[in-house]
Amino acid sequence: MKTMTTGLDQGRLLHLYRQMQVIRQCEEQLAKSHQRGLIHGACHTYIGQEAIAVGVCAHLRADDAVFSTHRGHGHALAKGMPPAELIAELYGRATGCSRGRGGSMHLFAPEIGMMGTSGIVGPCILQAAGAGYSFKLLKTDRVAVAFFGDGAVNNGAFHEGLNLAGIWKLPVLFVCENNQYATEIPFNYAAGSPTVASRAASYGLPGFALDGNDVEAITAVAGEAVQRARGGGGATLIECKTYRTRAHAEGMGDFTYRTREEVEEWKGRCPIRRLRQRLDAGIGGPVASTVNGNGHHSPDAVDAEVAALVAEAHRSAEASPWPDPATATTHVYDESPRPSPAPPLPPGSREITMMKATHEALAEEMAKNPKIFVLGEGIGKRGGNFKTTEGLYDLHGPERLCDTPICERGFVGLAGGAAMTGSRPVVDFMFADFVLDGVGEILNQIAKMQYMSSGRIKMPILLRGCIGIGHAAATHHSGNYYPLYAHFPGLRVVVPSTPYDAKGLLKRALNCHDPVLFLEPRELLGIKGPVPEQEYEIEFGKAAVVREGRDATVVALAGMVRRTVEACTRLAARGVSVEVIDPRTVSPLDSDTILQSVHKTGRLLIVDEAFAPFGLGAEVAARVIDAGFDDLDAPIRRLHGAFTPTPYSPPLEKAVVPQADDIERAIRALLEE
Amino acid sequence: MAIPVTVPRLGWSMEEGTFLQWLKNDGDDVRAGEPLFVLEGEKAAEDVEALDAGTLHLNSGGPRPGDRVKVGEVIAHLAAHGEVLTPSQNVDSKPVPALAPPAGPSARRLARSLGVAIEQVSASGPTGRITEEDIRRHRQSVETVVPAVAVRNEPVASPRARRTARERGIDWKSLQGSGPNGRIRERDVCAAPARKTDGRLIPHTTVRRTIAARMVAGVTQAAPVTLTTRIDATNLVSFREQFKSTGTTDAIVPSYTDLIVKLCAVALRQHPLLQAQWREDGLFVPERIDIAIAVDTDGGLLVPVLRSVDQLGVRPLAAQARELVELARAGRLSAEQMRDATFTVTNLGSLGIDAFTPILNLPQCAILGVGRIVREPTVVNDQVVVRDRMTLSLTFDHRIVDGAPAARFLDTLRRCLEQPVPWLVP
Ligand SMILES: Cc1ncc(C[n+]2csc(CCOP(=O)(O)OP(=O)(O)O)c2C)c(N)n1
Repeated sequence: MKTMTTGLDQGRLLHLYRQMQVIRQCEEQLAKSHQRGLIHGACHTYIGQEAIAVGVCAHLRADDAVFSTHRGHGHALAKGMPPAELIAELYGRATGCSRGRGGSMHLFAPEIGMMGTSGIVGPCILQAAGAGYSFKLLKTDRVAVAFFGDGAVNNGAFHEGLNLAGIWKLPVLFVCENNQYATEIPFNYAAGSPTVASRAASYGLPGFALDGNDVEAITAVAGEAVQRARGGGGATLIECKTYRTRAHAEGMGDFTYRTREEVEEWKGRCPIRRLRQRLDAGIGGPVASTVNGNGHHSPDAVDAEVAALVAEAHRSAEASPWPDPATATTHVYDESPRPSPAPPLPPGSREITMMKATHEALAEEMAKNPKIFVLGEGIGKRGGNFKTTEGLYDLHGPERLCDTPICERGFVGLAGGAAMTGSRPVVDFMFADFVLDGVGEILNQIAKMQYMSSGRIKMPILLRGCIGIGHAAATHHSGNYYPLYAHFPGLRVVVPSTPYDAKGLLKRALNCHDPVLFLEPRELLGIKGPVPEQEYEIEFGKAAVVREGRDATVVALAGMVRRTVEACTRLAARGVSVEVIDPRTVSPLDSDTILQSVHKTGRLLIVDEAFAPFGLGAEVAARVIDAGFDDLDAPIRRLHGAFTPTPYSPPLEKAVVPQADDIERAIRALLEE
Repeated sequence: MAIPVTVPRLGWSMEEGTFLQWLKNDGDDVRAGEPLFVLEGEKAAEDVEALDAGTLHLNSGGPRPGDRVKVGEVIAHLAAHGEVLTPSQNVDSKPVPALAPPAGPSARRLARSLGVAIEQVSASGPTGRITEEDIRRHRQSVETVVPAVAVRNEPVASPRARRTARERGIDWKSLQGSGPNGRIRERDVCAAPARKTDGRLIPHTTVRRTIAARMVAGVTQAAPVTLTTRIDATNLVSFREQFKSTGTTDAIVPSYTDLIVKLCAVALRQHPLLQAQWREDGLFVPERIDIAIAVDTDGGLLVPVLRSVDQLGVRPLAAQARELVELARAGRLSAEQMRDATFTVTNLGSLGIDAFTPILNLPQCAILGVGRIVREPTVVNDQVVVRDRMTLSLTFDHRIVDGAPAARFLDTLRRCLEQPVPWLVP
């Protein structure tokens, strides 16, 4: 194969050579360590592909952001991670780059712009696009890079991410390392078109197909792409054709899907040996006349220096302490200290709708904080399907009120990458049902990011959308979903039932550093209630005692709060006194307020429109049985929506949602117990 | 330095694999990257390549084709040319299989016939051998793991009703429930008339329950008889006064209980049956004399044991007794320190009691109750003189000894107490 001549001088070339050697020798050490049992989980080596990470990262600054994949050791090293931190991470040690939380597939060093590798194929493409969005919004010249394999290009994330980067001219490099196999599936089987680079045209992006083992060619093309991105020229797709010469992962077999001859042939095209031969041949000037960045004059000296570096890294990693098991559950949420919250404001006399209340909260925060931007369908000029952003486009323009194509996974994943890199995205789903296509981005990426990065990456992102059954919206516009999200660590799940709560909780969400699912009961959006004109926040995890009582406690959420109050008013006329509690946030869930109430009443009913299995009722009941068993004078009862998709026809629809009559009956039955 | 060749993990969760064959021979030179051996993991057999170069030295006890090998196990070394391996590098590193516990042939036969896996049985005997008894017990415990669903005809009450009943001292089991299936609810408890006598309920502590059980056993499972006698304690008092008046401040002055315990040991040596124990097949007579002393603590009555009392001098005995009493009061006595007494002394003298009927602490044969020492007029040689007097109450188990031998023991003890010096001075 012909090597592209680029005019790089000897010093630069020797530096590239050294970087590739660092990767190669680290990987060889890791392969040995895997055999010896020092690595406790998976280990995907980068051997054979070194030229790509090195050629691209040669142009990056520490404040540029790299997002990578399961095969990410090389990217981390090329971005500047010391070998000892990489090796210690794979050994599971406290000094590892992710403090032992990640291993081979979850490498984090945000301090140097290594924004993480991922065990899921695809999301890094969206996150890099999101970082590009941040960099553009914050008016910097930083760039983002996504490295991914050929296996990722037939995934929706590729399509959605490149399209978004294309239409918004985001400063991103999409670097596809086409090593011709996704595990054992050949690329020419998995893709209808033989090249990846040619797909760039579909997104209006420049695309390049390169020899991925030619570090000089990659350095040249990546340099131009980085310059284009920094200068506002948008994204580039670069396909580097290469080969991994070790098995997909250490310990896996290799010759069921490819031949020994093929592997040997590609070993012969080793990118490091190739550059070495060029250096030995005197390319880039005489060897002795230049000095590389580390003061080593010859490739041999570099080899020896790197060998010593890697040996020392291995030694220090092996001698490093294990992480303290007591830290296994830290950094699930933001742990930075906060001033103690102000006492709640009295509601006052002004009455507005919940829709207006959340609009007011968003408008106030957007005026104060230029890092906030909103993504969604029709939230720009149109002002949102539910008027969530009405008038804000005129104030803040298209970059902060950004209409999206219909690609829920794409813009949710992108928002995750934006939150990781300094902006504060608000994703407006319209209906929460629509985002199920993007749930992987929420649960696998957004929810886990603070933990995986041991609290070094914050995730200030607000994901909002409507929930709930009513007005014959039928099954694709009626879901509730909060039990799903509340099951996962790392998320805050807010479900307001009054305008007052909605404003205070949205203000809190726009000031906290955790990802918040803000799920708005659609049937309540137009109902008015008192809301103070002043600014205020409501803490997460503080339930509201909506109504005090002695005979029984009812925990109700969202639309069920009003119906429960209606039932209780009827019962009060008969001398029955019921306490009604609205948790307001499902995660965290305020057990204390519920337990105090049950201590008083001895009886508990949970009323919830969402499905019963593994739901709010089950969780509240379990907590009360754990901590308040002796307070119970009757079995705990649950009243949930029917376990069925939501039907359209009004009588059918009514039959699947608890009505005030049902609630009244359930309370009476509870009192009979 | 020789590089160990280890069994790698193939796939995500492999812990063990099957060694299939070497692809190189002992002594071969191996280049890095060459296939070295074949290992079968969870899914398939893989060639494992050498990651280092060197001369292959197979371990002497290394795996043979078909052997199970553990991930991480060292099965060979790669040495530099001419390098000599140290013996420790060349030892068989196979983990030693867990030895089956020893068991006799009859136990093994029984285990086979009952289908019991003998490795899972734990031995109860001192030798660690598994007996037939152990196997039957294991079988039973395995069989009774799943309890049969009991039909309930007892009353049921809500947790809250039970708590309220507890607080009010009401026995909820005696109430009629008004709830579904007759469940007793808090309202039923509140409606029940409070007990006639006003008062509060102190929930039982474990100590209280233990004491209760032992006391009941002492009167229901034995044949207790109590003998009393009045003795002249004048010499005992003066003996103790001498300690008091000559001792420095930190020297321990033996208590009356200490002195009496010591003299009980003297009497017990002469009447060993008074510490015999009733067993189904005969009377067991302990060799050692270990005497418990009853200590009143906030948590209830505790009985720490002084060991080999007959071997102890008065001062060490007093020091040990004091330490045990302090531990008892602090609630820090170990079960060990309260176990296996052969006789008990209980002293209520300081509380103004003259005589009482102590309850046996089974399996002990006897317990001595000590009354208060009173100065009172006594006739000695037809003269009324003032003497120190006290009453001893001995309860003994008539199953074990008859009245006359018990009386003889008590009389021996009386004489020791009245003339203590020869017994207390070593
Ligand atoms: C969404 C998802 N599906 C499946 C996997 C399992 N998986 C891990 S790596 C891999 C192959 C990826 O191939 P490619 O993207 O070409 O990267 P390469 O391994 O060749 O570097 C697969 C299927 C995964 N990690 N994520």
